[in-house]
Amino acid sequence: MKTVMADRRWIKEHPDLGTGPVPTDTCTSPKLFELERERIFRRTWLNLGREEDLPEPGNYVVRELSVANASVLLVRGKDRKVRAFHNICVHRGNRLVDGEKGVCKGRFVCRFHSWAYDTSGQLTWVSDEANFYDIDKSALGLKPIAADIWEGFIFINLDPNPSETLAEYMAGMVQQIHGYPFGQQRLLCRYRVEERANWKVILDAQNEVYHLPFLHITYPDFCPMNEHKFSRIQKFTRFGRHTVYSVELNTDHKMKPVESIAITANPRGGQVHPSMIGWFDFYTVFPNFCMLFLAGTYVTYNIWPLAVDRSIWEVSMYQPATDKPSERFAQEYSRCLLRDLLQEDASNHEAIQASLMSGALSHFQLQDEEIQIRHFHKEVRRHIFGEENGAAAIGNSREAAELRLK
Amino acid sequence: MNTLLPNGFSDLEQFAEWALPTSTDRNRKRRASSMDAINAFYNAMRPRLEQILAYLDQFSLQEMPQDAQRLLFLSLSLAEVTIAVELFHEPKVTGGCDPERFVVAREITP
Repeated sequence: MKTVMADRRWIKEHPDLGTGPVPTDTCTSPKLFELERERIFRRTWLNLGREEDLPEPGNYVVRELSVANASVLLVRGKDRKVRAFHNICVHRGNRLVDGEKGVCKGRFVCRFHSWAYDTSGQLTWVSDEANFYDIDKSALGLKPIAADIWEGFIFINLDPNPSETLAEYMAGMVQQIHGYPFGQQRLLCRYRVEERANWKVILDAQNEVYHLPFLHITYPDFCPMNEHKFSRIQKFTRFGRHTVYSVELNTDHKMKPVESIAITANPRGGQVHPSMIGWFDFYTVFPNFCMLFLAGTYVTYNIWPLAVDRSIWEVSMYQPATDKPSERFAQEYSRCLLRDLLQEDASNHEAIQASLMSGALSHFQLQDEEIQIRHFHKEVRRHIFGEENGAAAIGNSREAAELRLK
Repeated sequence: MNTLLPNGFSDLEQFAEWALPTSTDRNRKRRASSMDAINAFYNAMRPRLEQILAYLDQFSLQEMPQDAQRLLFLSLSLAEVTIAVELFHEPKVTGGCDPERFVVAREITP
């Protein structure tokens, strides 16, 4: 076994993350939420799905990013390039496209005055054009948003001049994940769950395995455990803003009868790709995107803030593409299992948020197996306060002190 | 009389009401059923599961006779109720949120 069971292991490799409690204020303060909007969600690269969501030229998707007050139109052009635009007619600001997705048969036409745009964003038609003054259609296309693709994942950046390219932003993850066969997987299902919880409460709850034997008591032996039956991860790695924790396969996991048949029926689902670190790798891609590689399958989370205490948790489950009924059965089993375990998590998220809103708990206490959460909150605080060192992130926050005085 | 399931699986016809095409419907059926009904379905299906999958694997998912597709849907319902039987020992997720809040935004069919 590669997993080291010793206590207080990760802090030795990452002493800059500190050991003190972590403030809860970013989960409850509307003022800090406004800072997150401006300094995180309007300035970082955000995942909006995968290329397969837009398979053909003319396919489009509209995403309402209320956290950034933006409606984003993603469209694949005739040249097959995926572009992102503000979903706004440049004439007088009407929303250009209604509905979540569709196929553009030639042009997007604004219903207000019939201004029209092609799939590359060019303004191609202005009704009663001769009656305008010196209008130049070539200079008046849809307002572009920076968009780029990494391993088939579509990202946008609402900053008009992003300070980093997507590849720079992803840092060492690019090399780590390179070669993973995303193209051989397909979307099995996507859930959208609206929750009364801060986006970080949802993310934090997934960003550790300490809770598994307790909250998920009916499925307690997912991870290797030490002699006291406490879980231990195999590895924790940081890539700039992002992290991955990895878990080794627990060979002591006790299979139930149908589970065992399902595992056997989906052999590709059990294959660990060489780009993986453990048997289960959980990446937190700052700020709100998670990728969970679970042997030969993967799952993504996109956690979209709506307000300081409300979010949408989007869960997408990917499995090897198949036309084989027995594999389909096995994949359905995996889906039902994960969905139900996540329903246990979801009820917990809301309980936590309700407690935090009381104001009674100023700090979280985190142990060594929760070091990912420590890193994540440090990054959140670095972005919103510009705090460069770990001390400010883990001690009493100035913002919290100010708010308490009010 | 039309048989609902392929030859050799007629003993499972009493469970035909579990042959539901969508995950949402299968999940609702599980939650609306008693644990006795769930156990009866699980206990009838589980010993036959490998045989069922071997039968279904003669076909591709996209081109299945209707009776085989019903059998596939039964097996997908087994996947659904297995969680109730093997994990929670009750139809619902103990301590879970309202399952209707897990809204299916997209899924493959079947």
